[in-house]
Amino acid sequence: MAKVPLRPIGRPLDAVLSAKEIAQNGASHAARRATLDERRARVRAGWGEKYAARVHEKGKLTTRERLELLCDAGSPTFEVGTFVNWGRKFGTVESPAAGVVTAFARVEGRWTMVIANDNTVASGSWWPRTPEKIERAQEMAQRLRLPVIYLVDCSGLYLPEQSRSFPGRFGAGHIFKKNSDLSAAGVPQIAGVFGDCIAGGGYMPIISDRVYMTEQAYMVIAGAALIKGAKSQKLSSIDIGGPEVHVARSACADVRVPDDRTALAMIRGEVAKLPTSGADFYRHGAAASPPCFAPAEMTSLMPGDHRLAYDAAEVLARLVDESLFWEILPDRGCEMITGVGRVGGLYLGFVANRQGLVDDPEHHGGKKPAGILYQEGIAKVSAFSRACDADGIPLVWMQDIAGFDIGVEAERLGLLGYGSNLIYTNSTNRVPMFTVLLRRASGAGYYAMAGLPYEPIVQLSTPITRLSVMEGRTLAIAAFNTKLDDEFEILTRDPEERAKVEKGMREVEERIEGDMDPYRSAAQMDTDEIVGLDELHAWIHALAEMAYQGVGYRRVKNPRIWSLHDIAALSRARG
Amino acid sequence: MFHRVLIANRGEVAVRIARTLRALGIVPIGIASRPDLAMSWTGAMEEVVCVGEAAAGQSYLDMERIVQAARQTRCSALHPGWGFLAENKRFAALCHQHGLVFIGPPAAAMALMGVKSPAKAAMRRAGLDVVPGSDGPLPDANAAAACAARIGYPAILKADFGGGGRGMRLCRDEAELREAFGAAAAEAAAAFGSGSLYLERYLAGGRHIEVQVLCDSHGNAIHVGERECSIQRKHQKLIEESPSPALGDAERAALGERAARAAARLGYRNAGTIEFLRAASGELYFMEMNTRLQVEHPVSEMVSGLDIVAEQVRIAANHPLGRTQDEVKLAGHAIECRINAEDPAAGFRPAPGRLEVFAFATGAGPGTVRVDTHLAPGDEVTPHYDSLLAKVIAHGATRAKAIATMIAALSGSRVEGVKTTIPMHLAVLASDAFRRGEYDTLTIPGWRGGGA
Repeated sequence: MAKVPLRPIGRPLDAVLSAKEIAQNGASHAARRATLDERRARVRAGWGEKYAARVHEKGKLTTRERLELLCDAGSPTFEVGTFVNWGRKFGTVESPAAGVVTAFARVEGRWTMVIANDNTVASGSWWPRTPEKIERAQEMAQRLRLPVIYLVDCSGLYLPEQSRSFPGRFGAGHIFKKNSDLSAAGVPQIAGVFGDCIAGGGYMPIISDRVYMTEQAYMVIAGAALIKGAKSQKLSSIDIGGPEVHVARSACADVRVPDDRTALAMIRGEVAKLPTSGADFYRHGAAASPPCFAPAEMTSLMPGDHRLAYDAAEVLARLVDESLFWEILPDRGCEMITGVGRVGGLYLGFVANRQGLVDDPEHHGGKKPAGILYQEGIAKVSAFSRACDADGIPLVWMQDIAGFDIGVEAERLGLLGYGSNLIYTNSTNRVPMFTVLLRRASGAGYYAMAGLPYEPIVQLSTPITRLSVMEGRTLAIAAFNTKLDDEFEILTRDPEERAKVEKGMREVEERIEGDMDPYRSAAQMDTDEIVGLDELHAWIHALAEMAYQGVGYRRVKNPRIWSLHDIAALSRARG
Repeated sequence: MFHRVLIANRGEVAVRIARTLRALGIVPIGIASRPDLAMSWTGAMEEVVCVGEAAAGQSYLDMERIVQAARQTRCSALHPGWGFLAENKRFAALCHQHGLVFIGPPAAAMALMGVKSPAKAAMRRAGLDVVPGSDGPLPDANAAAACAARIGYPAILKADFGGGGRGMRLCRDEAELREAFGAAAAEAAAAFGSGSLYLERYLAGGRHIEVQVLCDSHGNAIHVGERECSIQRKHQKLIEESPSPALGDAERAALGERAARAAARLGYRNAGTIEFLRAASGELYFMEMNTRLQVEHPVSEMVSGLDIVAEQVRIAANHPLGRTQDEVKLAGHAIECRINAEDPAAGFRPAPGRLEVFAFATGAGPGTVRVDTHLAPGDEVTPHYDSLLAKVIAHGATRAKAIATMIAALSGSRVEGVKTTIPMHLAVLASDAFRRGEYDTLTIPGWRGGGA
């Protein structure tokens, strides 16, 4: 059966929730969304107006201005790693966005990865985690075969912190390893050098296929500061490694241009020479179409309180085109939803956690809480994941999961084994996978549903994401196990001892609560970006376009020959 | 060509489509709600699938049941008719997913033309003039007032997702506009699920002129002349004619050509109607595009000799248009009267009942008469659906002959059992204003029964 029998899903918001619930959810998100906007604005501002003015005085544009000119007008860009180093102090200073902007951006209609040093933050120097952030962006680009554009304006390592950014496995030098990997994989790289480009930084542009240099730019192994006699000879870094040297003599760069604007226009021209996107071909005759129910309603649909349930199908109804969805194995492992929908006309596989109560297959007529993985759900997700990999359908994992089922029955049913099977499947998948930590991302559930350790191409958190090995309360119980009885009540009757245990448990809970803050995860690069629930659809649409942009590097089967049809055929009830 | 086509509609249009399908050698499969199953019109179908209860939401609007009906009857395409799901892009997408060819435009064109202000913007880009107004939806009453100050009063507020007059407010000054804004937005939100409003200059006394276009899958577009539909009551068309008495030959040719070119530029496919408002001063402004077969399509068929439904089916099967614009010959004049089961003497109140006698004088001349109906004597006119009894279309060599033919057909008609709008039509046809071709969307010439 070759058709992809999508069916209408979802209901209008006011049929799903009461006006009071809608208002409550909306208000809870509005506050978190305001925080997100305010923090984004702070990161965007870099070190502030004073430093932007300095850049302008040199006749250059700020990094944000360059991005604006580089990208297609009216097409949104999707930044990753905005909050890397958020809240982290180096001596007295901070490094907004770790001093580099990495963003999926559309240039001449093609999705690209733009990696641009922020020249308003310590002249674009590299902080601890700056190399990791750049490498992560390079990895995303390589896996999606997106052209990479480097806007280089970097005064080298931020030297006081060199021990944390220079020597390690993912130290600065690994960026050039990634440059080389990209080149070896045939991913086009284009560099514009707009200012300083000192020391190892020089390798980054030079490995690129096309290198543009403005007249304000230089590339040097060492700047004038380290050259003996430079001062007496009035030798500047531009004299040592400006375009007169590198374009005209050394051939380390290709084209010299008078200024930033010209460089950006010509880089756009280079991208225009690359193949156009294959996405329209893979839409198989359909056009991009928004969901029937507004994606922005996600903020009213999902309770901010992680203990409250909601209808996960309604979430999907606000992501897929025309709110049409094909659920695979709908009658089995009902704690999970697996199925296919189009986003922007392109097929994606979705795995989502149902919430609330679902049927218990082990106890006829019984119910059990969803938001947890049980045997059937794990088996279903594994089979679905493997089929999407075989069929070339990019996977979107939508996590809101408390973990695996635990207890005697769970072990007897072999959840460890089924879980390992799922882990193996996800670990060896070659199809693009994207993970959204919608709300809870706890314990082995986070691993089983392709959390960051399983190398999804991008992992997104939301303002209500809670990422940790377990909830604070559970962790406190585990830590104070010896002091608790069967019902997890404190054993001792001694008031002083009781107070001590209570305090200890409370502290553990509070600490975990702090750890679960999505900004903490984003600062540590345990997640790639924090996005508003109302922005999820736009993100997934863009990622779908990217996953189908390149042609010929990955398996994309047409729907006629999907193995998903086999699962659907074999699971259809007889008679 | 398709072997079996599901007609996802009822009544007059279902019968109309079935007739063409049979002429093309295609088996027409029908759907019907439970009360409709007993209706004689279902006899036009080879098979009929019952899709649910009387309420349209449980039958003619139930997308999944209709797709299921098409699949179980082995249909390879579906004609949506008009009304119900004809302009529902979600339904078109659902058909596509289930391998059913939706006989209509692509979902994207439907989406674009389904929302008024993006449609206006797209048509402006495609080369048509639009009524001066807001560039898009208005955020609030202040923005509306600012826009009205620019374009001038009177101005009219319209619902972005609307139609049929709901959410529409005529405002003569700023005070009226500010007062109307909230109510119009609320009305639009209740009726269409979106309170989004836009503003246009109100053109009093305008005429409603629309161009029928046909576009194939290969970039070819032709027009089949225009229709004038200015005789309306509360935005519901009563009498339509082609050609429009308001246009000269040169103006007619230029308008048709512009409309066809705009449709081609949009990448439109299948039959569509581009509606214009002709201001008293003579300018023709784009109003909206209907992405479906129109009720009044027979007048275009009568003057062109084309079968528009057959063209729709061929286009959906990816056949190229069978003729160039030069090969579309428009001859004579056609008028259509919509005969409704309504009492014109009592404010056009719906008048359901049992049709005892139902006959039109089709042979009285001097021109030819076509009657499109789904009813026969003995049929029950139920209150569940619209009150259309029949469309009578008269064709003559000249407009005067077409009018004479229509008068002969209607005055010789015998309809007993329900009240009809025939007396109103006869009054209009006999009026001097109508005979001179001087009328607009505001008045019903010759009719003093009120209700306009």
